[in-house]
Amino acid sequence: MTVHRNCEGLARRDCLKLGLGSLLGGGFVEALRLSARANPIATTKPTACILVWLDGGPSHFETFDPKPNAPAEIRGEFEPINTKIPGAYFSENMEKLAAISDKLTIIRSVKHDQNNHGAGNHYMMTGAPTRIPVSCGAFVSFHPSMGSIVSAERGAPDGLPPYFSLPEMTRSGGPNFLGAKHAPFVVGDDPNNKSFRVRDVTLPQDLADGRALNRRELRGQLDGMLRFRDRAAGDPILGVDENYQQALSLMTSEKALEAFAIERETESVREAYGRNSFGQRALMARRLVEAGVPFVTLNNGGWDHHSDIFPAFRKQGRAFDAVVATLIDDLDQRGMLDTTLVLVMGEFGRTPAISTLPGSKTPGRDHWSSAISVLMAGCGTPRGQIVGATDRSGYSAIDKIYAPENLVSSVYRKLGIDPDKILYTPSGRPTHIVSDSRPIPEVMG
Amino acid sequence: MPMVMPKTARVPRMILAILIGGLLAVESSAGDAAVTFETDVQPLFTRFGCNAGACHGKSRGQNGFALSLLGFDSEFDYEAVVQQARGRRVIPAAPEMSLLLKKAIGEIPHGGGARFAVGSSHYQLLLEWIRNGAPRTPADAPKLVRVTVEPSSQSLAPKEAFPLKVIAEYSDGRRRDVTDGAAFQTNDKAIAAVNADGHVQAGPVPGEAAVMVRYMNHLAVCAVTIPLPGTVAPEVYAALPRQNEIDELVWKKLRLLGVLPSTAADDAKVHRRAFLRVIGRLPTPEETRAYLADTTSDKRRQLVDRLLERPEYADFWANKWADLLRPNPFRVGMKAVWSLDAFLRDSFRQNKPYDQFVREIVTAQGSTWRNGATVVYRDRPETVEIGSSMSQLYLGIRLECAKCHHHPFEVWSQDDFFGFAAFFSKVGRKGQGLSPPISGGEEMIFTSLGGGRKQLKHGRTGELVEPKVLTGPTPEIGPDDDPREVLANWMTAPDNPFFARVMANRIWAEMMGQGLVDPVDDLRTTNPASNEALLDFLARDFRDHGYNIKHLIRQIATAHVFGLSSIPGERNLADVKNFSRYYRQRLRAEVLLDAVNDVLGTEEDFAAMPPSSRATQLWTHRSSSLFLDTFGRPDPNQDPPCERTADFTTPQVLHLMNSPTLNRKLTQDDARPAALALGESTSEQIVEDAFLRIYGRPPTADELKIAAATLPARDQRRTAVEDLFWALLNTPEFYFID
Repeated sequence: MTVHRNCEGLARRDCLKLGLGSLLGGGFVEALRLSARANPIATTKPTACILVWLDGGPSHFETFDPKPNAPAEIRGEFEPINTKIPGAYFSENMEKLAAISDKLTIIRSVKHDQNNHGAGNHYMMTGAPTRIPVSCGAFVSFHPSMGSIVSAERGAPDGLPPYFSLPEMTRSGGPNFLGAKHAPFVVGDDPNNKSFRVRDVTLPQDLADGRALNRRELRGQLDGMLRFRDRAAGDPILGVDENYQQALSLMTSEKALEAFAIERETESVREAYGRNSFGQRALMARRLVEAGVPFVTLNNGGWDHHSDIFPAFRKQGRAFDAVVATLIDDLDQRGMLDTTLVLVMGEFGRTPAISTLPGSKTPGRDHWSSAISVLMAGCGTPRGQIVGATDRSGYSAIDKIYAPENLVSSVYRKLGIDPDKILYTPSGRPTHIVSDSRPIPEVMG
Repeated sequence: MPMVMPKTARVPRMILAILIGGLLAVESSAGDAAVTFETDVQPLFTRFGCNAGACHGKSRGQNGFALSLLGFDSEFDYEAVVQQARGRRVIPAAPEMSLLLKKAIGEIPHGGGARFAVGSSHYQLLLEWIRNGAPRTPADAPKLVRVTVEPSSQSLAPKEAFPLKVIAEYSDGRRRDVTDGAAFQTNDKAIAAVNADGHVQAGPVPGEAAVMVRYMNHLAVCAVTIPLPGTVAPEVYAALPRQNEIDELVWKKLRLLGVLPSTAADDAKVHRRAFLRVIGRLPTPEETRAYLADTTSDKRRQLVDRLLERPEYADFWANKWADLLRPNPFRVGMKAVWSLDAFLRDSFRQNKPYDQFVREIVTAQGSTWRNGATVVYRDRPETVEIGSSMSQLYLGIRLECAKCHHHPFEVWSQDDFFGFAAFFSKVGRKGQGLSPPISGGEEMIFTSLGGGRKQLKHGRTGELVEPKVLTGPTPEIGPDDDPREVLANWMTAPDNPFFARVMANRIWAEMMGQGLVDPVDDLRTTNPASNEALLDFLARDFRDHGYNIKHLIRQIATAHVFGLSSIPGERNLADVKNFSRYYRQRLRAEVLLDAVNDVLGTEEDFAAMPPSSRATQLWTHRSSSLFLDTFGRPDPNQDPPCERTADFTTPQVLHLMNSPTLNRKLTQDDARPAALALGESTSEQIVEDAFLRIYGRPPTADELKIAAATLPARDQRRTAVEDLFWALLNTPEFYFID
């Protein structure tokens, strides 16, 4: 039996692993288990999530749900490869992830009904469908994103912002009614650059500390702009104040400065992650989690393969495979995987039929929200399992069908947040964190 | 072929009339109620979500049963229902055995579950249709021309409810109640929820919601208003100031909501606001002092008139338009980007009528090095791309969804998409095309008339497509006519329902901080304006004044509502979209950078620009500037470039506080703080100067006292003056329009 930690608390199998079962007898173990249930948020170590967001909607066929027996016009160019999960195959470019698939759960059966980028991004990123229909190009926010909820519910120690997004914010990754202090802290600079540093978090070199303090004091005295404290008025200046406070704490946070100093990693670790922007951002994400940040989004664009899909997967697919496999492996070796959830997904899957759209010269696949593959690893997620299935041609999830609500609820549960909690918008309107708060049982361990 | 059976009399006419629910009130006679496919059956597929994008409406259907998305293709749907699956879906000889019914009631496994019950009116309707041989609606039968909802607007108290009634109008003038076959959706279910029967239920809090009704390919909206509790006497509204029609229409809306506007902002605030909104720069201390001292009654109008004649006007507005059109120089070449920039600046400098401006782009011909308007064609080499970009920019219609399938929440079909794009199928190109990353060649854009022309093919049917306008009849296009000229005529015609509205909405958003419709270029029934009457007026007024952009700006800037305070009162605290107060907004990146330099008396050193250039004069987003990147500008590496966000972020705060570049500017010898400190001014004069420059107002007595107290004697005060400037530049009163 696989032993794994349930992030909600000390699980029964942990007790067994410690040998308590044999020493103290079933009754006591049962009591321990019950007490763990009664206090589900009691974690020994803080948990965190690294969301690898594949913007555009990655194909499930070319990643984790190949259909080798489908006709050629669906199957595509790639061969399936063996994984360490008996009977499960990945597409050939997911080689390194296949090699560590005994650490992963792949859910092949997430499904929703929002087939354009704006709406699909919102649904997967927040667990809530958009309130009104939106278009492909839309950047919309009707509900706080996962990262913002985690920021609000969990916070972060030592002046660190609780929610980071690298190198930019995702479309619907914003805080909505939670306000500016729960917006992601965006690190746009490229940690693969030799001169990388997170800009402006230190005082200018020639400015003495005392003078900086005087300046801030004077600012405080002269900042007389009237604020409307009632949140319903939507005063953006309240957000400015939150940003200002966050900026000040960040400037004085030893932990933050340490986390940003990626150059302190050994050369071999940096090489292992790959000397490219995405690889070094993944490494930065690990450093942020080590420092205590509970939610980091790595926004990785370019997965909207309406055309040119096969060459893209040979290059971009392989690069992605290498970085994410390294990240998971590294977390595991450092003993962080038990408390860190790595979540990999995009807004939807891709159409079974390979098509060449008007105006395109090379084939691709189009938006497809009926069959979405999601990768999860760590934080109590069972190691080495496939959850659910699509039909033999990959048209639709047919077994253990889960909605984004269930997926997002699982993430919250793992991070010790009750997805059923009611939050209040500034105008006093009650809103559940997730409208359907049932997690996916198979990933909860 | 389905068996066509003689119409049976098994269901008495009377029952049928009941089944179709309440028709009699509207129907001219019950005799029209024979159940046929297009009129009665197809709408149910939308009503029950069968033809939604996630079910049978997706392009390859669901489990072998495909319907056209939201029922835009009756031929296709009829064949799918009646002919395919070896006729098992519809069995007139044994209607109850029809798959269509058995699946819909969940009697046999159905991925979509049971949609309605045996014996329900919908069941009976389908049963009757099948029994009668599944007849189609005769080709000469009256066509559905319009769908309306009653009421089209409704005001009610929290927790009250009311029913909607949906009326279909046919080409013979017949009106029919189709509530039972319509689909409903609200844009805010906490304010007003709607159920599948069209029952609207108001929530516990005041506000507004739009309830959308879809019947076949027609949409209608009911505007639901839940006013603030308590009443405001009509005299209060009657007594509100009115500078022009804009005020009248805003007050009208507020009255409906029981909302009262904020008081007027003070002169200094309005003065600063007008500068920032009309020309994108801060007023100087002299300008502010003069305005505050001016006692003439129409000084705001005079101010706006003066601003509209300033040279900064063209740079500021061209800079905004560049966001929409400016390509990446690595893609189209530097010279092309430069010439597009010149075209934009020249257009705003001349105050070119907007219809002419758009016509010059739509019909552009010539060299991409000489006529900047042609560059949009260089940037968008595919006919289908240029079509959807033109419709979004100038008509506010996002057609790109309709490239692959029927637009899911609008009336646009693939025929519309390709028909619109076909106007651009004769665009000819000569010379060196795109060859990124070095793409410096010159290209000639022209219209290739006559023989040998290429023609656009429809994405689905593969048929050649003729140009087709989006509403009304398409004008005749002769062999020697340029289709783009014909399109430009249609777009800019006075009765075009989109053209003036989208620009009026854009300008309103730029002046007021927020569009009447948001996003500004997504005008559709399912995304209604917060004040339709006001948008109608602005569009009409803009058109009637020769599409004069300055006129539109003047109208808005001289309206009373432009000068409202941003501070809410008790009766407009929660108003965030009806302009009962002015909405605060952060300065956009270029304006903020120029403002910092104006305050400090410093200059920016941009690559590829002459000395003393301002950020609003940049011709490409490629000019490197950490400041502009931090405060947000479109990313030319993305295609299309990302939108700007107006959000304020922690990195922005940090940049203003700690950026080494800004600190160098603040403390350099030839910057204003040093000059002031070393000059003859008294401490009080220095403080006053700083406040006027940075906040556009004199300091209050308290502020003067606090700030002056920090300034030591003249020979030791330089760092203190610098710190004073730092402090003020780091407050929101500087970097917000209030």
